[in-house]
Amino acid sequence: MSREALQESLSAVMDNEADELELRRVLNAVDDPETRATWSRYQVARAAMHKELVLPRLDIASAVSAALADEAAPAKVSRGPWRSLGRLAVAASVTVAVLAGVRLYNQDEISGAQLAAQQPAQQGLSLPQAQGPAVLAGYSENAEQPGPMANGVLQGQTGWHDQRLPGYLRQHAQEAALKGTESALPYARAASLENR
Amino acid sequence: MRALPLIPLLLGGWLTVPALAANSSPQASDWLKRLAQAEQQQSYQGTFVYERNGSFSTHDIWHRVQDGKVSERLLQLDGSAQEVVRVDGHTQCVSGALVPGVANTPEAAARVLDPLRLMSWYDLGVAGKSRVADREAVIVTLTPRDQHRYAFELHLDRQTGLPLKSLMLDDGGRLLERFQFTRLDTRDAPSDDQLKASDICKPVAQLTAQAAQPATGWRSDWLPPGFELINSSVRKDPQSKNAVSSLMFDDGLARFSVFVEALDKGTAADIRTQLGPTVAVSRRLTTPKGEMMVTVVGEIPIGTAERIALSMRAQDAQAKK
Repeated sequence: MSREALQESLSAVMDNEADELELRRVLNAVDDPETRATWSRYQVARAAMHKELVLPRLDIASAVSAALADEAAPAKVSRGPWRSLGRLAVAASVTVAVLAGVRLYNQDEISGAQLAAQQPAQQGLSLPQAQGPAVLAGYSENAEQPGPMANGVLQGQTGWHDQRLPGYLRQHAQEAALKGTESALPYARAASLENR
Repeated sequence: MRALPLIPLLLGGWLTVPALAANSSPQASDWLKRLAQAEQQQSYQGTFVYERNGSFSTHDIWHRVQDGKVSERLLQLDGSAQEVVRVDGHTQCVSGALVPGVANTPEAAARVLDPLRLMSWYDLGVAGKSRVADREAVIVTLTPRDQHRYAFELHLDRQTGLPLKSLMLDDGGRLLERFQFTRLDTRDAPSDDQLKASDICKPVAQLTAQAAQPATGWRSDWLPPGFELINSSVRKDPQSKNAVSSLMFDDGLARFSVFVEALDKGTAADIRTQLGPTVAVSRRLTTPKGEMMVTVVGEIPIGTAERIALSMRAQDAQAKK
């Protein structure tokens, strides 16, 4: 391995631009005193360029190595469960975040769709409305939809829908009443459609 | 071993489901169980009002449980006299015009409220107490988990669990419909005379399993989560002579129907309209068989109905086999 190539790699590692191969090359050569000296010089030069020169000739790597040599080998720490719990927590929060994201996304999408749905409705083709007297304190009645529709009659519908829609509404209400879980409510809905 | 880090991820996803179900209070679920039982066990008679936008009606109800047999008669007190008599969940007679083809099917027996199923799609809660028809009531709320269904507020009788009041609310908290007892008597069971149908009540045909023809030609690419097909039929419309396929779905509480019919002249426009709790959305659909009109009718938000209408597809012949 040529010295120039090693020095280039060293420089790349320092600048955080080394690829994996260069990093390996530097790590392999780091035991070599000459390389360490080069490294140290580069650090000084770099620090000087960035105006952060504090302690020249500080060979942290060898200091750490010496410290490690003195240290007794630590017993295998039982960090297994904590580690996986941590992972689990991270994974769970990612899942929650994803779920929440999906939900938010869907809401956006739907409110968009609903807006789109409301848009033509405002133009008089049909008037969705839902208004009634206040129920419990806490229910907002502020956003009232425009236009009272007398007794639920489909006003302004012509042709095909005039003929078909009442039949569909009636069939839905009657089938719901026949299959109803709550007995009286679907019946009342069906009866309400007949009150025109 | 590469898959190992994925396990917590999968596990995490699985763990969040019971965590969400824990949003529902056990008391609320107990009250809903009592409600389901009350309909099958408690005799009562009373008067209730039903209100949706611009329409207000009053009704009498007689409900008797005798030897495990549930008999019920409902009569509208104002306007035209709408009447229904039912025995064990099967409609015996109705007044007024019944849509041709609507009839009892053998499996039409009463579906009961299932709190466990509802808990997947609604957060159940107890919101306090109230007084309805001079009775103490517990307020149970059903708040939808997604935007595809409405919220309900049920006021259940503390003594019997019967629903004294039921409100349906949209996502903005606006009232869509109100059902409310003004008088309820749970001590005296209705007499035979009170349960007897009047002359205006016309008998309903009981269909056999063979006669009911399911609608197989249509399917939906998308359904709001939790909704299942509970009924499908094909009937011939007496006016247009067209076959009308209808499919009904429910999530254990809310229901909607999908109707598909061929368009003859092709002049109809897409429409959307809302009658209190019930929306109707029509969409044209071009299929190999020609122009069809898909109409979704039900107690669901209009955006959801729109999406369902857009998702209906003709089932091709191969898929049917």
